[in-house]
This record gives sequence, C-alpha cells and structure tokens, in this order.
Amino acid sequence: MESITAYVISGITTLALLLIAALIANSINFERGSRPRDAARRRTWYWVIAVLNPVLIFVLGYYIFRPDANVMIVKRFIHALSIGAACGFVVYLLLGFVLSRIYKNGKIGHWF
Amino acid sequence: MMDKLFVIAVGGTGMRCLESFVHLCAIGMFDSREIEVLTLDTDQTNGNKGKVEELIRLYNRVKSSDTLEGGTPNADTFFSTKLNLYRFFTNYSGKGRENYKNLSRLSTGTPDQQRDNQLLSDLFLDNQSVQEFNLAHGYRAQTHLGSLLMYHGITEAARNIAKGGNVQLQERELEQFIGKLELAGEAARVFVFGSVFGGTGASSIPIIPKALQDFVQIRSAGASSIDLGKTRFGATLLTEYFTFRKPDDKQRSSKDDSVIADASFFPLNSQAALQFYQSDPTVQRSYKLLYHIGWPVESKKADGGQDNGKTITGGADQKNACHITELLAACAAYDFFTRESLLDGPKAAYLYKAAAFSDNAFSFTADDFVGNQDRAGEVFANKLGAFFSLAHISLTANGGARGDLGIKAFLNLLHKQKITQYEGISEMECADLNDYFKHFAYTFDKDRFVTGWIYQIRNSIAPGSFIFNSKAFPDNQAELNRLDVGTIFLDEQYHWPKSLISSRYSTFVSKLIESGALEQQKVNTTKEKFLAHLYNALSNSQGFQLN
Repeated sequence: MESITAYVISGITTLALLLIAALIANSINFERGSRPRDAARRRTWYWVIAVLNPVLIFVLGYYIFRPDANVMIVKRFIHALSIGAACGFVVYLLLGFVLSRIYKNGKIGHWF
Repeated sequence: MMDKLFVIAVGGTGMRCLESFVHLCAIGMFDSREIEVLTLDTDQTNGNKGKVEELIRLYNRVKSSDTLEGGTPNADTFFSTKLNLYRFFTNYSGKGRENYKNLSRLSTGTPDQQRDNQLLSDLFLDNQSVQEFNLAHGYRAQTHLGSLLMYHGITEAARNIAKGGNVQLQERELEQFIGKLELAGEAARVFVFGSVFGGTGASSIPIIPKALQDFVQIRSAGASSIDLGKTRFGATLLTEYFTFRKPDDKQRSSKDDSVIADASFFPLNSQAALQFYQSDPTVQRSYKLLYHIGWPVESKKADGGQDNGKTITGGADQKNACHITELLAACAAYDFFTRESLLDGPKAAYLYKAAAFSDNAFSFTADDFVGNQDRAGEVFANKLGAFFSLAHISLTANGGARGDLGIKAFLNLLHKQKITQYEGISEMECADLNDYFKHFAYTFDKDRFVTGWIYQIRNSIAPGSFIFNSKAFPDNQAELNRLDVGTIFLDEQYHWPKSLISSRYSTFVSKLIESGALEQQKVNTTKEKFLAHLYNALSNSQGFQLN
C-alpha cells in the first residue's frame, strides 16, 4: 500500500511538472532579432524542471506523505519513493520527448 | 482572356512613377499578370532611370529560380507579377548627334536646300539656343523640339532594324517590346508614365502611340500596323509637383547649358500642355483614358533643399526623392489595367479625383489610391501593410538594414521550428530580398539613415497622414529598437492581435507556423512558396475583411 502511494506521488508530480514545463514553454514569447534566445530558454526550463522532478517527488513523499508507521514500512516507502523518483525522471524525459515530436513545429518542439 | 499589359515610362518623372509601379507589383497588386515594361529616355545615364532599372533587375532576381529567369506570375502573394524589362534611349552621344543642328544635318545638301532647312528650323526652334544645346541630358522642357526628336529616334530605330546591319542593343529591345505589343493586338493595354511639365515625358506622351504605329509600319515595310482605334492607350497627365534651384547666369553662359529647364515655368508649361492635349486630335484619338494628377499646394524641392551651386540638368546626379503623386500615377495604371469601362470610346476620357485636405495637410486613405470597388482599398492597405511589416521585420527587427541577417533570420526561425522546406533558399537570395526591402523602406549608410521609397512617399505629405501610423516611420536607431512591427496602421483594428502571455510578434510567429502556401496562390519555386507563406501569416494577422 505504501509503495502504491509512493508511485502515485511520483506519477502525479511528474505529470504536473510536465504540464508546468509546457505552460512555461508556451508563455515564453518568440523573440525578434537575428539571434533569438527563446528556444534556449524553453529548453533550459525543461531541463531545470527535469532535474527538479525527482527532488520534488522525494521531498513531497518524505516530508508530506511519509506513512506514520514502523521502520520497516517507512523503509519500504522510501525504497518505493526512490524508484518512483527515478522512474518519474525517466518518464518525464520520455513523455517530454514524445510531446516534443508530436508538437515539433510549436514551442514544445524546442525541448529536444 | 486577360488583356496583355504594357507600361512605358518616359523621362525622369516617368521613371519615378515606374518605381512606384514596381513597388505596387512587389506588394502584389497585379496578381497573375505578366507586364512588359519599356523605359524610354534621351539620357541613358539618368540617375532615376538607372535606379528603376536596377530595381526591376532586383525584383526579377527575387522572383528568379535556378530554372526560371524572372519567375512566374502568382496570385495573392508578394512579387506576384512577372516583369519583363526593355530599355530604349535615343542616342545623342555619337559624333554629329550632339544637338539638333548636327542631328538634322542642316549644313548638308545644296545651298538652296541648306537655306530652306535653316529657315524651316528657325521658324519653330530658336537658332542660338534650342538648335544648339547638348541633347545628352534630355530636351530641357523644350517640348516642341522633344516631340520631333523622340519621334525621330523611334522611327530611326525602325529604319535601322529594317535595313539590318549594325542594329544597336537598345533598338533590339525596343523591337522586342513593340513586337509583343503587335502580337497582343486588340488585347493590349498600354499605360504611359510621364510628366507634362518637363522635357522628355511631356515631349513623348503626345507622339508615342503614333511613333509605335509608324515603327511597326516602317519595320514591316507597310505589311503590318497597330490599330490605334482598338489598342487601348492610357497615360498620366502629371502636372508640376516639385521644384528645383533656378539656374544662374554663370551656368547659362556655357553653350551646352544655354537651355535649362526652369522650374518657375513648370505651372505655365503644365497649363499649355493640358490645353494642347485637350485640343490635339492625335492625342484625343490615340488615348482612351488620361488621368489628371497634380499637386495643388506648394511644390517641394526635388533636391530636399540641398544647394550644390548648380541646377542638375540630368545624368547620374538626377536622383530625386519619391513623391506621393508618383504613387497616385502608379495607382492610375492599376485603375487602367483593372477597369472594364471607358476603354472603347472614340476619344480620350479624363479621370481625376480629390483627397481630403485640412489644417494645411493632406490625409490619404487607402480608398483614395485605388477606390473602393470590390474592397480594392482594403486589399491595397492589406498588401501594402503586409509588405511594410515584412520590411520592418527584415530591416528593423532582424537588423537587415545594418547588415545583420534580415530575412535569413526568418529561415533560421522556421528551421528551429522544424519547418525545413525552405532550406534551399540561399544566402544570396536572402540578400536580394533584404536589398529590395532597403529600396522599399530604408537603410543605413554607415550611421546615416537613408530613406527608401515608402519613407519618401510619407515624407512628401508630412505632416499629413498616409494609411499608416507616423510611429511606423522611425528614422533613428533608438526609435527603431522600440518599434512594434504589429502596430503600423493608423486604425487599431488592423494591429496584430496579442494576449496576456503572448506579444503581437509572438502571435504572428505562431500564425506563421500554423499556416503555409496555398494551391490557389500558384506558387512553384521554394522562394515563391516562402513568400506566399509569409504573405498569408501577415494577412491573417492584420485581419482585413477582404471578401
């Protein structure tokens, strides 16, 4: 049960951050000029959030959703949280890549 | 079947009207048309002539592809007209051709013939001045001499071609132009640009239809002709709208410059010319439509008020700033080429209109230029605005005016958005487009701001208004940096849309990414597709109701 909670936290956090990354990408204006930096800014934000994702999953899980139970249960939860954070990072990149290909002509296309 | 279109630009003013006409072609006012253009002058080194011919060559480079010189006609896009340029000038540079006296060989023949020829010449042309001034810089407002010599120049070319042998390049080009006119027959519409107050244009407008007809007859030894009753000729009757420095006695003392056009006589010249056109049966029979265009307030200095101590009579130095009357003349050609009425009358009809004038300034709307039939005014404003915005994007936003990437930055932007179909457009082709925009809008010569066509047009009516917001014409780097290219129109409803999180420019780029060239635009080459794509995104952003 604790493991499921950890994986749900990871999944929801990953999707939420992906949504935030997409919103940020779309809120950055196309810049005029011969050397616009908007594409680089979208990419930077995407990778910053990518790094933030496992950290946030772990912080949320450990400080807010940690079960109030014995050490064995907490250990299992933290183990699942670690796997969830790692999977969240991979899924974030994977979904980010897929979205970037789907919307390749749009602002999200700048992620990859 | 669509009529075949021909344009003849005569003299310095005619060349400047042609410049405006070329820009109308560039913004896309003559969709799906191929237009034959003849420049006709006595002064092959004239600055205005050189400038417009270079502009047409640049226009054609913009349209050309590897396989097709000059491109093809397109619809609803920029550079939608195919222009074919022909150049003819009367040659007064060889020995014995410098002035009327030598050219007409007054001192050849028997003594009796010489005396009769001299008496006849003296009857019409002043002996000491008009018969002897150097013709290399044109007819210098001596229209009675000019009409005679321009007619002579055209028919002399026909005789040389008929004889064969040493035919000059300009005579060949004239033959090609007239050959196409002859081929078009009754489907030809010919529009002549020229002033009635100066020299070459005023001399040529009355005789051009007849001279072209006689050219065909002479070259074909009477086997062929042009029916002036059926071929549709139109022309501008452009009265004085600029002035220049009055020549002083020192300049007049030289024999070559003994006759110089004096701008103070331009109103008188205009009045005399209009009376002549009204009463001359040849003009009345030859032309179907004559467009009265004038400038009813004080004429501006053609040299912008700079005084270099000498009146410029012609040559490479004669490069005058453009004036709104020239754009109106180009719009007269648009009217002539698109109208269906008043084209088949037995004698010339006169057309004119007026623009609003208050507080000592004109205010021109789009309808003042092209009327409002079939939303022509909105179509014109949309096209001119789209091209002006694109010029600002290239020159201002993307730094093209200062040698930065210009339009190439757009290709880079599309590349970043993974729109790769335009990658075949070369650096050179981008440079040609940037150059065109510099002619159209502005450029920098080192740190000096140099106005282009649309800035000059606007300056000619300042402080009056002209479709666009005055802030769309910044002339220093600080103001250029602040310019929002989506807000060039006076009327805010045509400003590009924006949202809480998206600037006007960003919204436009989003539209650019979502749009593309359409089949009905009849674009074939990569460059044509790119221009059509830009046109669609710009048109879409401006939001004119065009249907």
